[in-house]
Amino acid sequence: MADQTLDVKGLNCPLPILRARKALKDMAPGATLEVLATDPGAVKDFAAFCRATGNELVASNVAGNVYSFVIKRAA
Amino acid sequence: MAGLPLYVLLCSGEHEKVQMAAMIASVGAVSDRPVEVFVSMGALAIFAKAAPAEGRYHGGAFARLMREKGAPDALNLLHQGRELGELKVWACSMALDLHGWEVDDLVEGMFDGALGLTSFLSDAESGQLVTL
Repeated sequence: MADQTLDVKGLNCPLPILRARKALKDMAPGATLEVLATDPGAVKDFAAFCRATGNELVASNVAGNVYSFVIKRAA
Repeated sequence: MAGLPLYVLLCSGEHEKVQMAAMIASVGAVSDRPVEVFVSMGALAIFAKAAPAEGRYHGGAFARLMREKGAPDALNLLHQGRELGELKVWACSMALDLHGWEVDDLVEGMFDGALGLTSFLSDAESGQLVTL
């Protein structure tokens, strides 16, 4: 269970990434954020975002048309 | 861990190009890349304080589609990039001069000041330059 959930279903690029960054900014290092998205581009976008920022992509799943990601905030 | 600096040269006031510039700049900034946007030529008028909220952007079929589907506002994306990352926006001093404007005539809280092209290009040598 993630510490916080961010629902960006229905939002298009680049809003899911911007919202995730905003949420992570206010979280403590090591805390986890679950992101729920419907943009198919989000799968690779969140992987790239985590690579670039040093945050850890703990999980990336799909259920129906909803993509979910768990991101652990970098120290 | 800052990535390679990104420099965006925005010349066109066409909605599609302004939108793409705002998307690149905001995503770059939240991806820990220092970003600088240089606004020149026809793009500067988009940022005029006096520009009407409706009808600020001009474009073709895709611009219409973006309006109909409620695509995020380009200026708002840039504001978010500035709030969440290291994003600077410069007004081209030549374009300002041609309009007879000061930086104060441009939208509030968006610009870091006026800049010349030589200075921007010199800074851009250290990173990746995207022109729109």
